[in-house]
Amino acid sequence: MANPTKTEGPRWGMVIDLQKCVGCDSCTVACKAENRTPPGVSYNVVVEEETGTYPNVRRINIPRPCMQCDVPPCVTVCPVNATYKHDNGIVVIDADRCIGCRYCITACPYGARSFDFGESYAGEWDGADALQSPEYGVDRGSRETWKAPIGTVRKCNFCMHRLERGEEPACCETCIGDARYFGDLNDPNSVVSKLAASPRAFRLKEELGTEPRVYYLR
Amino acid sequence: MSTATTTPRTPTQSPAKPKHWWSYAPHEPFLTRRNRVLWYGFLLLVLAIGAWPVLNRLINGVAVTDLTSQMPWGAWVAFYIYFVGLSAGAFLLSSLIYVFGMHQFEKIGRAALLSAIVSMGVALAFIGLDLGRVDRALITLVYFHWTSPLSWEVRFYTMYVVLLTAELVFALMLQRRTMAPAKAHTWMRILGIVGVPLAIFGVHGGTGTIFAVVKARGMWFGGLFPIVFVVSAVVSGTALVMAIHYWQARGAGKRPDTKLMQQLSVVLIGAIFVDLGLMFYEFIVPILSFEHHDKSIMAIMALGPYAWSFWVFQIGFLVAALVICMSPLKRSAGWLVTAAMLVVVGILGVRFNIVVPPLVPPVIEGYPVNDYFPTLTEWLVCAFLCAGGALAYSLVSEWQPIHDPDPDEHVDEHEEVAA
Ligand code: SF4
Ligand code: SF4
Repeated sequence: MANPTKTEGPRWGMVIDLQKCVGCDSCTVACKAENRTPPGVSYNVVVEEETGTYPNVRRINIPRPCMQCDVPPCVTVCPVNATYKHDNGIVVIDADRCIGCRYCITACPYGARSFDFGESYAGEWDGADALQSPEYGVDRGSRETWKAPIGTVRKCNFCMHRLERGEEPACCETCIGDARYFGDLNDPNSVVSKLAASPRAFRLKEELGTEPRVYYLR
Repeated sequence: MSTATTTPRTPTQSPAKPKHWWSYAPHEPFLTRRNRVLWYGFLLLVLAIGAWPVLNRLINGVAVTDLTSQMPWGAWVAFYIYFVGLSAGAFLLSSLIYVFGMHQFEKIGRAALLSAIVSMGVALAFIGLDLGRVDRALITLVYFHWTSPLSWEVRFYTMYVVLLTAELVFALMLQRRTMAPAKAHTWMRILGIVGVPLAIFGVHGGTGTIFAVVKARGMWFGGLFPIVFVVSAVVSGTALVMAIHYWQARGAGKRPDTKLMQQLSVVLIGAIFVDLGLMFYEFIVPILSFEHHDKSIMAIMALGPYAWSFWVFQIGFLVAALVICMSPLKRSAGWLVTAAMLVVVGILGVRFNIVVPPLVPPVIEGYPVNDYFPTLTEWLVCAFLCAGGALAYSLVSEWQPIHDPDPDEHVDEHEEVAA
């Protein structure tokens, strides 16, 4: 749940209803379009977990953004404080400080972080590198070799630039099954707070004590 | 020193006291003329072959590796911890002489210190080239994050290199008798006393801690890991110094000191036993507790695509070295150096198995299983940096009396003791 000691301002959180997710991957596509992530970098993925053997097979889809953990192991290991917990609950990365050691990638138990190897869609569509998403409100202009965020680590940030404009993250807006809920976990009356308190709610790898801010409804 | 090299030495130049320490040349050549051509020729060839891959890495970034976002660390990180281990091990060996007074090893003291410094330099070069933003490497010294073992390590490495360099300078002054032996020994003892905990807890235990705190990955997470690191550092560092002693002596046309190597092999045997014992516990605990994550990694190590590395290098080479050092074969310096080199290569396998297999299983079921094998570029960069280290070591040895025999052995020839 939201940090009870922290009352000022929103502390963002997400709830994903697994019963409503149809595994269409729209969120992944919307995320790529919104954040203009390069090849090999996906802030959001939908994991398909198959259990059992034919014909008794069960498949569930687990959309996986960054969990924006309240006790984020990725943050504790970063040698230069390039990644840290923002007051609004989001774990952010400062692409102008990250040294690209990828220690945080090894430490994230959810595989939510990607390294920007500098690949590009330039050969596939025109103007692919002409412009980058204004992540964290920073306008980085065109995508160029040597220029951050190339060589640094990247991840989902709940579309912080959209939140600042009063919009939902792209994945929530686009979800065809209406499976994603987004809001302020600090506000006990918000939809996300209520859903997160439901008996259906659980979090991934809760035993690690990372206190994710993304809840799932089973 | 009890055992002298048996080849007679004929100091050529008169032992006039040099004006400056940097203008000093060793009394005995580091290599014979023929071996010098062969050795430097070989190193330059490797450097020439590796130059483009290094440049390619600098131009095109980490994309030249087989790494992915799911497999973030690979060969270069393995080499980095390998060289940190060699360094810490070689330094701890030198502390046997300078701190604990085991003067039977005095002959290899300076070689151990120099190899510790050079290994640390090579380790830093490896981790530097592994960074996505090499250009920001030095900001690690500016920003500090106390919960990050890596942040501590950067500082420990820096202190360690400074301390070791100071200790080597004292050792060289002692060797050249430009400082009173008692005074030099005191200084080296002080530096050694600071250096030993720094090397154990800071440098190498700390490097183990980088991995040990990562609870997301099986096999890494736990308190045993830093200890394993320190012990295997002693194993590899001792073996490295044995190998350097042997090959330098051969290269210079002298006979290696078999007795010294036998004494070193005793250290090696003890360390390998402890290392294998720790490895046993590392494996048996997850097996008996049916810990799923650790077991899947062990399965990858022992039966997966890297099983050759585990069975041949990690187990095979270490056990073979143990057998050589404990059998009558130990009477021959040639066999002892074979054992040492098996260990030097074997521990590289150990390091590889520390880094790679725990990253192979996906963190969440449903993600693809990782499949990593270093690219040719990665291997050639490794070769380049190893050759660079060997070259640096050799050049310093050409220039300073790293491998000269102890002056006490021919003190009558060198009455240049400065009080
Ligand atoms: S999910 Fe991973 S990247 Fe996101 S906050 Fe948690 S540990 Fe960090
Ligand atoms: S890759 Fe960047 S964000 Fe991650 S631990 Fe290293 S410096 Fe920090």
